[in-house]
Amino acid sequence: MTDTVSTERPAQAQVNAEMMEPSPGTLLRRRIFGHAGFMIGAVVLGTIFLMAILAPVISPHDPYDQVLARKLIPPIWHESAKATWEHPLGTDHLGRDYLSRLFHGAQISLLIGFAAMLISGVIGTTIGVLAGYFGGRVDMVVNFIVTTRLSMPVVLVALAVVSLVGSSLTMVIWVLGLLIWDRFAVVMRSATQQVRNLDFVTSAQAVGCSTPRIIFAEIMPNIANSLIVIATIEMAHAILLEAALSFLGLGVQPPEPSWGLMIAEAKGMMFFDSWLIVIPGTALFALVLAINLLGDGLRDVTAPENRN
Amino acid sequence: MLVFAVKRFGVAVLVALTVSILSFSMMYLSGDPAIALAGEGSSQEDIENVRRVYGFDRPIIVQYGDWLWNALHGNLGHSNYLKSDVASVIFERLPTTMLLGACALGFALVLSIPLGVVAAIRPNSLIDRVALTIAVIGQAMPSFWFALTMILWFSITWRLLPITGTDSWKNFIMPSIALGYYVTPAVMRLTRAGMLEVLSSDYIRTARAKGLRPMTVLFKHALRNAIIPVVSLAAVQFGFMLGGSIVIETIFAINGLGFLAWESILRADLPMMQAIVLVLSVFYIFLTFFADMLNAFLDPRIRVA
Amino acid sequence: MKFSHLLMGAAVGAMLAFSAADAYAGKSDDTLNWATTREIAVIDPYYNNTRELVVMGHMGWDGLVYRDIDTGEFKPLLAKSWNWANDTALDLELRDDVKFHDGSSFDADDVVYTLNHVSNKDNGVLTYRNVSWIKNAEKMGDHKVRINLAKPFPPALAYLANAVFIMPSGHYDSAPTKADGKKDWGVVKPVGTGPYMVGEVKAGSHVVMEKNPNYMANSPKGAPQIGTMRFRTISEMNTQLAELLTGGLDWIWDVPKDQAERMNDNPAVTIENAKTFRISYLAFDVDGDSGTDVFTKKKVRQAVAHAINRQAIAENLVGPASEVIHSACHPDQFGCTQDVPQWEYNPEKAKALLAEAGYPDGFEFDIYGYRQREFTEAVIGDLAKVGIKAKLNWLQYRALRDIVRKGETPINHMTWGSYSIPDVSAIVSHFFKHGPDDPAKDGLTREMLDIADNSIDENVRKENYKKAFARISGELYWLPMFTYAKYYAYSKDLDFKATPDEIPRFYTAKWK
Repeated sequence: MTDTVSTERPAQAQVNAEMMEPSPGTLLRRRIFGHAGFMIGAVVLGTIFLMAILAPVISPHDPYDQVLARKLIPPIWHESAKATWEHPLGTDHLGRDYLSRLFHGAQISLLIGFAAMLISGVIGTTIGVLAGYFGGRVDMVVNFIVTTRLSMPVVLVALAVVSLVGSSLTMVIWVLGLLIWDRFAVVMRSATQQVRNLDFVTSAQAVGCSTPRIIFAEIMPNIANSLIVIATIEMAHAILLEAALSFLGLGVQPPEPSWGLMIAEAKGMMFFDSWLIVIPGTALFALVLAINLLGDGLRDVTAPENRN
Repeated sequence: MLVFAVKRFGVAVLVALTVSILSFSMMYLSGDPAIALAGEGSSQEDIENVRRVYGFDRPIIVQYGDWLWNALHGNLGHSNYLKSDVASVIFERLPTTMLLGACALGFALVLSIPLGVVAAIRPNSLIDRVALTIAVIGQAMPSFWFALTMILWFSITWRLLPITGTDSWKNFIMPSIALGYYVTPAVMRLTRAGMLEVLSSDYIRTARAKGLRPMTVLFKHALRNAIIPVVSLAAVQFGFMLGGSIVIETIFAINGLGFLAWESILRADLPMMQAIVLVLSVFYIFLTFFADMLNAFLDPRIRVA
Repeated sequence: MKFSHLLMGAAVGAMLAFSAADAYAGKSDDTLNWATTREIAVIDPYYNNTRELVVMGHMGWDGLVYRDIDTGEFKPLLAKSWNWANDTALDLELRDDVKFHDGSSFDADDVVYTLNHVSNKDNGVLTYRNVSWIKNAEKMGDHKVRINLAKPFPPALAYLANAVFIMPSGHYDSAPTKADGKKDWGVVKPVGTGPYMVGEVKAGSHVVMEKNPNYMANSPKGAPQIGTMRFRTISEMNTQLAELLTGGLDWIWDVPKDQAERMNDNPAVTIENAKTFRISYLAFDVDGDSGTDVFTKKKVRQAVAHAINRQAIAENLVGPASEVIHSACHPDQFGCTQDVPQWEYNPEKAKALLAEAGYPDGFEFDIYGYRQREFTEAVIGDLAKVGIKAKLNWLQYRALRDIVRKGETPINHMTWGSYSIPDVSAIVSHFFKHGPDDPAKDGLTREMLDIADNSIDENVRKENYKKAFARISGELYWLPMFTYAKYYAYSKDLDFKATPDEIPRFYTAKWK
């Protein structure tokens, strides 16, 4: 845009204008760095992400290696004499290094959250955008499907299905992904409805652009920020649902160290060695909180006019 | 209004039918339902007998029709483990769960609506921030951890509240908080958003300009309108809570539908699982139906939609 | 606002409708509250084979004879005296002063009715082995019966004492018919002669038993002391612990070792670790029915046996009363011996064996379990160290048993409590005589067991059981792991003693 304009306007005026008005990029940067929630969310999530990626490198021990004789060693801040720097966060009920399990657990919790969000995002966005764009019959059918899905209790159906077909990491991801697309569908539908009647869409239709082109080139970029916000909510949702499934013994199966499973395994000692549940619990809490803050922040940063 | 109600009811019935197909098909998720129903240590002969008696050898569509017909007549099957009629067990335990759900919802509304209103009156104030923090924490802490922490403090350390049972109203305090807490963020955000919108609308400005007392404006005019979307959200959340009470009922040993569902899943009691999914879904469908009706009654603009 | 008002009104109204009285119990109102994680719907020891019903069976009913747990000697209970007319006929003289809970008198008809009902295979007693040795019972007089055996059965008295409870004549006549045309025997109203009478039953919540004021005099079980026994289902162990610590429960068991140890110095509770007849074992899919053929290779089974540190599991996870075992029986049972091939913990040897069998990098398979997850997890951890990746499938007992019987498990990690019967026939003959639970269906093992089961000569029995155990452990159809030790935790107010057979005698308990 600047190129075409600059040939018509005096160069000096152009420069002046740019010096007086901050560019959109600068504005965005200012908003991002001025937004505390977004910053906290990004830093925490980034740290957890790094932990997950670097887990094989930074873990002091093998997360699966059990030494029964060295079980339930408390973390270093604990006053117990058993606490040792060899296991900074202590060991679990089977004598496995808690810090290493926490690092590897980050991988699995993030994987579950991300993969389940991706599956539900694809399903929900597809039917939501279709409903919003075409309206009429399509909208009615999608509305019907969403209502049906909403009427089925998520935790119950997830538990029933997992118990009938057997639980594994893949199965948990698929079951969650296939169950939590409703919010994507609802929000994408109304976002698309708002966008489809705007000028640039109608003009694209007028010049004869194909429907897929309009959807991908005109509509999607304009609903992307709502999409990101929902994606963060659902990612957090999936992570928490996995923790609930694990609590009931039907989530990720041991010895895989998901954070939800670590909390579930620690619940037995909750009244006695509370650090066992506090460590993975705080990690999970921080992760979910960070994702939520990031989502809220993204909404504020990308579309400040929608803030309420 | 009548046309709207009939249309909406038709949709509800259609959804219920779809859900019934889905819960019927659960029977086939685990493979051969005859083996599952015949139970432990059954011989091939027993399995064939079950297949014949229950008619698993018929076309699936006929089986479904038969199952639906029975379900409509209140016959949801027989539980092999509990040695009892599925429907009577469910309806014996449903009231406990409903009561728990109602208490939880009550707690959530009492906590979140005032917080939402205050947050809207003074956006970005300390109270707004506190409210936001509560909302965010509510979304991020696994419910079982929260519930067990309450037991640790209120029952073991301070000896204030009983842990299990349903004998007294005190028994319902912790489970209701544990279950209801997770609903508060959604209700609070919606109340806050609704209030902000209403407070900036013309008629509130007019009311203020006319010199009405601020409290009258706030409660009689603003809240009344801002609360309408909360009604349908509350109905939706009530339905969610009935399905989500599994964890809470397990921890507080409440003998309701959630616990029954969990036990049935563990012992692979298929007829019971199917029936609970069906009953909860249908309950939810009609709950949202009535919420819509109530909304339409409160807000005439909806009726034409 | 209106809707929320409505809901609030409903909620508050419902809450007020409750009686405000706390139903808290214990010593003060003479009610012993005990809990397990299981939901109990059927109160009949023949038609519910859970441990809870073994316990309740001895409370609500009596057997013909009684076995003294300390001395192992048999004492009169419903039968005053008995003698063997020949190898297959046992004559019993019955007491004539016993009444059932419904007031009817106990006589020979009741014994004949009960034994003929339960020994009939069509009547579907769940653990048919407990009664399959009975051919029939005959009335020889008003208070005299003869039990005819199908063939000589040396441990008959042990079974009579532990697993045969006498119901009143006609007890099962009112059983309703199920949709598949069979009778639903378990749903009749429970009536027995035992020290406690079954009162209110609410599946998923509680089972109340009241002291039987007319319990027979000079029973070896003693006179019941505590007025009410209230069984409760609390599926979350943390909740059980919390209730125990705050006085809502008086007695729990199956407390995990770590929690039990932390409660040791709590002034309100007594912690006890007691032996049980339960043993833990791994059963291999020797025939390859599960679709995984790795365990058809003996070297692989040996590798698994060498890879698992059973001593560490018993010591660190189970408890001080637990011991490692090498044969498929509990050391306290008649006929049990540890003089069989033993597989010591040796991960290096395990790796070498795996390499020899053609799996130098290990392999993956599904392991199935249902009881004490951390024990199975420890097994998985040990296997991981030699390169075998076991995927855990965690199921409820009933569901797992179905799958095991269909032969779908490559390895199942299960347990067996022998119904507390102090004779190896209650375990090894159940599992290795080609029944549905038999992982190997080995002809030789069955022959040895047949000889041992059908002989009344103790030495012949011992010798042949030993041969069978040697074959089972040598061929590794099972890897016997360790005996279970149970942690009991109960109120300091309660005068209770745990017995080594996993049957709490609540009828002898009293308040301090």
